[in-house]
Amino acid sequence: MQVSNSKPVLILRSIQFRLCVCVIALALFAAACSNTDKNEPFFGKTNPPTNHVLHYVTGSEVESLDPQVGTGQPDTRIYMALYEGLVEYGPKTTLPIPGVAEKWEHNKDWSEFVFHLRHDARWSNGDPITADDFVYSLQRGFSPEFAARAAYLGYYIKYAEAFNEKAVFVRDPNPDPQTGEYIYVLEKDVNSEAGNSETATERAPEGEDVSLDTKFHQFMHAPSRLILPGDEKDRAKAIDNDPKLKAAVAGKEFVPVEAKDIGVEPVNPYTLRITLSQPAPFFLKLLAHQFFRAVPKKAIEQYGTAWTQPDHIICSGAFKLKEWKPYDRVVVERNPYYWDKTEYWKESPTGQKVEQLVYYPVQDSSTVMNLYKAGEIDAFLNHTVPKAWLDMILQKKDYMDAPENAIDYFDFNCKKPPMTDPRVRKAFNLAIDKESFVKWRKITKLAPTFVPEGLFPGYPTPKAELFNPEKARQLLAEAGYRDSQGNYDPSKFPVAEVEVTYNPDGANGEISEWLQAQWKQNLKLTIPLKSLEFRTFLVSRPKGEYKGIARDGWVGDYMDPYTYLGLFSSGSGDNATQWTDPKYDQLLDEANRISDPQQRYEALAKAEAYLLDQQPFILLDIPKVNWMKKPYVKGMYPNPGTLHAWKFVYIETDPAHWDQSTPDMTEEIGLADWQKDQQTAKR
Amino acid sequence: MLRFIIRRLIVIVPMVLIVVSLTWGLIKLAPGNFYTGEKRIPKAIEKNIREKYGLDCQGGPCPWYVQYGKMMGGVLRGDFGMSLTYPSQSVNQILLRTLPVSATLGILAYLLALIVGLITGTTAALKQNSKWDYASMAFAMLGISIPNFVLGPLLVLLFSLTLFWLPPALWGGGSPLNIVLPVLTLSAIYMAYIARLTRSGMLEVLRSDYVRTARAKGLSERQVIFKHVLRGGIMPVVSFSGPALAFLIAGTVVVERVFALPGLGNYFINANLARDEPLIIGIVAFISIAVLVFNLLVDIAYAYIDPRIRY
Repeated sequence: MQVSNSKPVLILRSIQFRLCVCVIALALFAAACSNTDKNEPFFGKTNPPTNHVLHYVTGSEVESLDPQVGTGQPDTRIYMALYEGLVEYGPKTTLPIPGVAEKWEHNKDWSEFVFHLRHDARWSNGDPITADDFVYSLQRGFSPEFAARAAYLGYYIKYAEAFNEKAVFVRDPNPDPQTGEYIYVLEKDVNSEAGNSETATERAPEGEDVSLDTKFHQFMHAPSRLILPGDEKDRAKAIDNDPKLKAAVAGKEFVPVEAKDIGVEPVNPYTLRITLSQPAPFFLKLLAHQFFRAVPKKAIEQYGTAWTQPDHIICSGAFKLKEWKPYDRVVVERNPYYWDKTEYWKESPTGQKVEQLVYYPVQDSSTVMNLYKAGEIDAFLNHTVPKAWLDMILQKKDYMDAPENAIDYFDFNCKKPPMTDPRVRKAFNLAIDKESFVKWRKITKLAPTFVPEGLFPGYPTPKAELFNPEKARQLLAEAGYRDSQGNYDPSKFPVAEVEVTYNPDGANGEISEWLQAQWKQNLKLTIPLKSLEFRTFLVSRPKGEYKGIARDGWVGDYMDPYTYLGLFSSGSGDNATQWTDPKYDQLLDEANRISDPQQRYEALAKAEAYLLDQQPFILLDIPKVNWMKKPYVKGMYPNPGTLHAWKFVYIETDPAHWDQSTPDMTEEIGLADWQKDQQTAKR
Repeated sequence: MLRFIIRRLIVIVPMVLIVVSLTWGLIKLAPGNFYTGEKRIPKAIEKNIREKYGLDCQGGPCPWYVQYGKMMGGVLRGDFGMSLTYPSQSVNQILLRTLPVSATLGILAYLLALIVGLITGTTAALKQNSKWDYASMAFAMLGISIPNFVLGPLLVLLFSLTLFWLPPALWGGGSPLNIVLPVLTLSAIYMAYIARLTRSGMLEVLRSDYVRTARAKGLSERQVIFKHVLRGGIMPVVSFSGPALAFLIAGTVVVERVFALPGLGNYFINANLARDEPLIIGIVAFISIAVLVFNLLVDIAYAYIDPRIRY
């Protein structure tokens, strides 16, 4: 077949032409959309649902619906609907508000807590929730066979760590002839330092039903028993290395620490006593964590790991499970037996009750934004609005703007020169203009100190110098990087010994480049960058296997400055800076023994001031929550943990009452009766 | 023929074992493991978890040959064990649940691709160098060159966020409305390939001797095309179909991510990122079996379509 040359070219042209038209039309479409977007106060469709159902994207797929198994934040948000603990995260502050416990007391040095459970708390099958349920839940959580990843959070509870580690007590095989009881080797018999702390722990707070000095309570307050590794090899090693210990355990037998030995006691069906091995004023703030929530013994014993299936599950929270399609959706509906009958949706005459919540696992942030824009979901998780969308989204009234319980920073490797010198560390820190950094990042807040400023009301944040390139150069000169006249000389600095190591996820690459540019500009040093795959990085960083500087970040486990400051205590496993200091440990210990909360905060702030002076890190910023909710979703707040107590959430049908910005965060809700109680108790 | 099939089926077993072993070796070589996280967990808890999964030998992680033996034993029994990331679910449960999703998407996308691709390819070949030919080949070129992570969001922008016709993502229990966009996105590239393969295959056959013979016999044009030309012309499409279908069914990583669908692909990425060894092994074993089986099916199909092939 012969075809003339000119004809196909013409056709091709016309096809190209058509394609061009299509592309232009599409582009125009897109432009038109974003134009109308810009003028609207809210992002996308804003029609309140009429069927009492809210749709939420909670991030990645839940690991499990068992609250003692899943550890991620997406999981926590679902657990907060299904399970309740002694206390719950407050919707605005994430500080503890009453849950199954309606009130509580603690002893003077914060090492023992007594919880008074409400009598009307019920499981979703109608059974009452009692102190025994919490004893069961905690014994299960700490049992080594169950192997909960989060068990370490509760190691403050007496003998919980020993039980979880399968450790043993040391017992004299011959009972005391007088009492007929076994005699245990005590910690202080072997280790005199541990003996000191013993005298510090006190008995229970005084109250009516807590004065019950049960046998278990006496055991809890008897001097601590010696704990040795359960593994025979490890134990033999420990004994052989310590002659004093060897003498003390000679001829004794080893008995495993059991579930019944941990410091959790049901004083009566509605009173629970928890005894800790050390003073821990922050323990209460930790208790809202999912690990400490009530799980149903009945269902677990009957169905094993299948107990979280919708047909088997029994819930303790304000909602119960209706449907679970993994990687698709989790649907929960109101638990008719839940104790709190307050009709929070009636706070507004046009408010509507949420009967059902649907959680979707979606990981791609653009997909989340699309779903939100199309009105398929009503709110979504934190850290979601992509950078490219920010300029437009920051103008919207449904964008949530609040700081998070977290901090971004870079470690200095304090064990490798030149970063062993605090002057060098300070110089590198002072050479960074953090204010312009925060302006450039858009979704973060300035972090002058390691404990996020303003997150813990009453905490006196210590002063810290932010940016002073002149002083930075001077410090480096003092540290020995100077010419014969004593002026700072960048060529003397061992640049080859330092590099910025980071994992290339998110904005880490850009941030590291930004730091590099700052040091080049202000210190005339070109620090090399090194990017490592995430898991690889996570293996080498905590061991200090990096040169000079490494990206890091910390998310608070609970709402107390100690979750930040404890990171640099010598017992911490997460401190990649390798910086430890006995003086700092001591300052923290002293602070945690203070019973008055305000004085304790002041003592903690003193410890932080010392930490800041040592400068084992470069503080960058506090991330903001960066999520959105439709204006008709009320009772949901951008709290520092993005953890929502769902019972407070309702739908507002009247646009006049819609949220026109980040909602008011000043006064916590869910505290009313409790605060009155606490105040009268104080008087 | 039967002997051929049996022989091929027997070969599948060692092939899968080799693939699984290589994968296992790569997982072991990769730095970090399931326990590595931003927050480190105490050694004792790591040990508890290892014991729970039977991976602890006298206080430490088992030596590699014991781990390998245990993993292989599981694979041979067809039981991949429990997932580490999703501790209450076994790998088999996850496979059984996600497979229908990925398979629905994959098969629908492939059928669509096949129908549209064959029609455009055939038309293009029969009317070579015509307006039709150029238009459909330009269209095919576009389909091949636009990656699906671009096409997906474009379709969403048009159909979900501008016209509000279709939901932008989610499975919705497999509702037809939710499936449309992912299937379109997924099938585009296959559609394009099939169109091009059909066209070139048919063009080759159109010039062959047996087609001339058929025409010479006086067969009607329709009979020539459908009985002779098409049959020979779609051979390249058939060989392309085997691996294509296997991969489509085994999960379509990008599309599942963009549209947040509960298929195998999503689990595969997450399992790799989390170093969830049992899940990775399970999915890899499944995908390799799928590829081998579909290849076998293709070879069997050859024998039926092309009378010249004998086994």
